[in-house]
Amino acid sequence: MLDLTDLSSGYGETQVLHGLSLRAEPGRVLAILGRNGAGKSTTLKTIMGLLPLRGGSVSFDGETISGLAPFDIARRGLAYVPETRDIFRSLTVRENLDLAARRFPCPQGGWTVERVIALFPRLGERLDNGGDQLSGGEAQMLAIARGLLMNPRLLILDEPTEGLAPIIVRLIHDKLAELKRDGLSMVLVEQNFGFATSLADDVVVVSKGSIVWRGSTAAIRADHEAQHRWLGV
Amino acid sequence: MTTDVGFWVLQTLNALQLSMLLFLLSVGLTVIFGLMHFVNLAHGSLYAFGAYVAATLAGVLGTWGAFLLAPLAVAALGAVLYFTLIRSQRRAGPMAQVLVTFGLIFVAVDATRLIWGDLPIGIAIPQVLEGQLALLGVEYPVYRLFIIVLGLAVLGVLTAVLTRTQVGAMIRAGVDNDQMAACVGINVERMFFLVFVVGCALAGLAGAVAAPVLSVTPDMGLQILIPTLIVIVIGGLGSLKGAVAGSLIFGFVQTFGAVLLPSFSSVLIYALLAAVLVTRPEGLLPAKG
Ligand SMILES: Nc1ncnc2c1ncn2[C@@H]1O[C@H](COP(=O)(O)OP(=O)(O)O)[C@@H](O)[C@H]1O
Ligand SMILES: [Mg+2]
Repeated sequence: MLDLTDLSSGYGETQVLHGLSLRAEPGRVLAILGRNGAGKSTTLKTIMGLLPLRGGSVSFDGETISGLAPFDIARRGLAYVPETRDIFRSLTVRENLDLAARRFPCPQGGWTVERVIALFPRLGERLDNGGDQLSGGEAQMLAIARGLLMNPRLLILDEPTEGLAPIIVRLIHDKLAELKRDGLSMVLVEQNFGFATSLADDVVVVSKGSIVWRGSTAAIRADHEAQHRWLGV
Repeated sequence: MTTDVGFWVLQTLNALQLSMLLFLLSVGLTVIFGLMHFVNLAHGSLYAFGAYVAATLAGVLGTWGAFLLAPLAVAALGAVLYFTLIRSQRRAGPMAQVLVTFGLIFVAVDATRLIWGDLPIGIAIPQVLEGQLALLGVEYPVYRLFIIVLGLAVLGVLTAVLTRTQVGAMIRAGVDNDQMAACVGINVERMFFLVFVVGCALAGLAGAVAAPVLSVTPDMGLQILIPTLIVIVIGGLGSLKGAVAGSLIFGFVQTFGAVLLPSFSSVLIYALLAAVLVTRPEGLLPAKG
């Protein structure tokens, strides 16, 4: 579904990704693991067209999307939930949701504002609050809800549990598990090994801007040496 | 004189009139900056162009026709500028943008000299707006009240569009975080073009309605540039509220300074600007908190 081939990219003079290749399969959850600074967020920003590509290509459902503008990539069905959540601060929660919902057609049985509120009832209580008045957990719920309202073919999440209390992490976990059961394809970047492996089907490990390990979730669980060497678990 | 109510009413109206002209100019500039971090120093030249076009058209179409068409002409010029110069400078960084648009000011000054000459041009006030109106015991020119009302009307429309419509939400989202706005499918560049053209039209409108009360001269665009920049720096970049606050502060300080503290009036606004920059470097009401 999503294919990265020999990707190179970075910031200004510094190259961060060095020939990174990976594939995400439809209907499955791919976890991208790796230490802090390995290049996980850079990979996602490159997929979304937020960083210029220096080499390689990105294709989505057989179409090359590298080189397209971010809005065009989003319209092709990739929803991005960034590490910093990036809720629109001067918009209310309702406006944040509407903004995504109005831009994308909702297929039969797709995500509507009512449905995401049913998924995250907490957002329903916060509809008229400003985007700058939310707790970390609420901002994360809103970022995921906003992504779902794009009715994407692939949901891309960057460390959805970062900085959240254990009880919220558990809630986010259960909701993502629900989305997975419904068949939503996801790419999940995580530092939390337990969280990632309990959701993912497939795993890749990034180190210094390229993939150093790939396999199934069961295989990474069993591979203590890889865990120790690449993840410091 | 300062114990006379009439004095205060008169100066307040003068201050409001200046504020509203500055508001029409600064609002476009500040939202363009907030949305795209683009500095268009030639914004004042668009104001001058609006005044000249209005002065020329007024002879043919009458003043109302000129008021209507001048903003459209300036919007069209803005679109041409966008496609020839501004789009290619979008990623060039602030220094290149400042230099290019600063150069444009001088091109504009010479172009207006070539077309319209050096002499100030006048434009007649529309007949219905001639004369004076008694207001709280003061006789005040109707035309200047019209400028105040027009500014308030534009403020009302812009506020409604920004806070109540989908396009308004898209613009606010773009000002907050243009990359994330793009990631929810918004074509931020097209929205920037739209805002840019509307901002140009408002600058043109300001020039057109200012033409009957000021003399239309080639350097009027340069003269208005500094006040406009002070307004958006005091108000805070990118926000409508900031443009309103900055315009009111400038209008009142300038007007009352000139009559109450005439020997300090020219430094007063700069002292205020310095005070704002020291205490609140982001300005009073910036778009990004
Ligand atoms: N905006 C940036 N400018 C310059 N370098 C950056 C920027 N963001 C990240 N980097 C560098 O790129 C490398 C990879 O970062 P990142 O992709 O964020 O890592 P991860 O998400 O795996 O923790 C790091 O060395 C980091 O310092
Ligand atoms: Mg990261």
